[in-house]
Amino acid sequence: MRRWMSAAVAGAVLAITAMPAQAAWKSYINKELGFSFMAPGEVKAGVGNFRGAIAGPRQTILYRSVEDNIEYRVTVISYPQAQAEGATLLGERQYMFQDKRNVLTDTFTRVGSGKDTVYGRKIVVDLPDNKGRATGVFYFTKGRLIFLEATIPASGNLASPDPGRFIDSIAFVPSRMEPDAVEIETPKLE
Amino acid sequence: MRLTALATLVSAALATLTAPAQAAWKSYISHPLGFAFAAPGDLKVEKGSYRGDVAGPHDAIVYRFVDDNIEYKAVVIDMTDKANDAATLLGEAAYIFQDGKKLLMDTYGRVDRQFGRKLTVDLPNNAGRATAAFYFINGRIVSLQATVLPASGDYDSAEPGRFIDSISFFTVRAPDDAIELPAPPK
Repeated sequence: MRRWMSAAVAGAVLAITAMPAQAAWKSYINKELGFSFMAPGEVKAGVGNFRGAIAGPRQTILYRSVEDNIEYRVTVISYPQAQAEGATLLGERQYMFQDKRNVLTDTFTRVGSGKDTVYGRKIVVDLPDNKGRATGVFYFTKGRLIFLEATIPASGNLASPDPGRFIDSIAFVPSRMEPDAVEIETPKLE
Repeated sequence: MRLTALATLVSAALATLTAPAQAAWKSYISHPLGFAFAAPGDLKVEKGSYRGDVAGPHDAIVYRFVDDNIEYKAVVIDMTDKANDAATLLGEAAYIFQDGKKLLMDTYGRVDRQFGRKLTVDLPNNAGRATAAFYFINGRIVSLQATVLPASGDYDSAEPGRFIDSISFFTVRAPDDAIELPAPPK
């Protein structure tokens, strides 16, 4: 009996040590931009570029981490002078995300409740040339286009629940944000 | 040979006579509201109402037509006071349209540099099939909605699609003979 138990414990230990090391998920908040999210791995801030036929060229604020072969990205683009065009700017970004890709799902998504609800869309696509699978969620609120994307390469676990966990972690209302969230800086745009 | 030709002619005439009368499609335009569309049947202008959790209560202008047991509506909701929430207001309107219904189609609408949504739903209790397009432009939700009523039963009719896709926001694209839409009753 004892020998059985020892073998079971040893097996469990071996199984745990043989699993890929997964970083803990942490909550991040940017009070200036008014949102929070959760991600694994080390989140790094940066600046990127975006161009849409209607949106035109824009600099973006980017938060990125990579964990267990999955890339997590949060992108923020400010349109302070074009808030009333938010529906079309959001629609264009969503359309670009799924254009020429195999769309697996494209559904309504809502964050918050009542009059504070923010409506967006959640889209899952297979990337061209068998390059993997991307999950994105897109919102436009308070003059900012904010989207979260998680990309799994073809060699990864396409059925991983982690992209869904990342995407669904976004919050815009302070009361729904994690109190122990790590404050992230807002990179300066040129 | 003559007899066959005569029989064919008579059959064709009978078929035409027994087919349901379909009204001609006309083009309509509203310069103040900045959009144009085409619809069949007689135009009725009505006041409507709209309510969403985010939008709150709002009056709506409804341009309504009925032809061949299909109801066509162009709905305009003035959201000027909340235009900065355009994306969420549009999302809410599209969400409400399909909420609790069987969703058959949900795709992008792209017209004249505007991105919106096009949806088709089956109405509860076999009340028909509705197709709609939603756009947010110039502080307003503009929606075209066509409902194939059970009396029609032709749920695969191409007419709702023709109506929905006739919308234009570049008024220069409207036909020269487009009829100016009247203002709603006070």
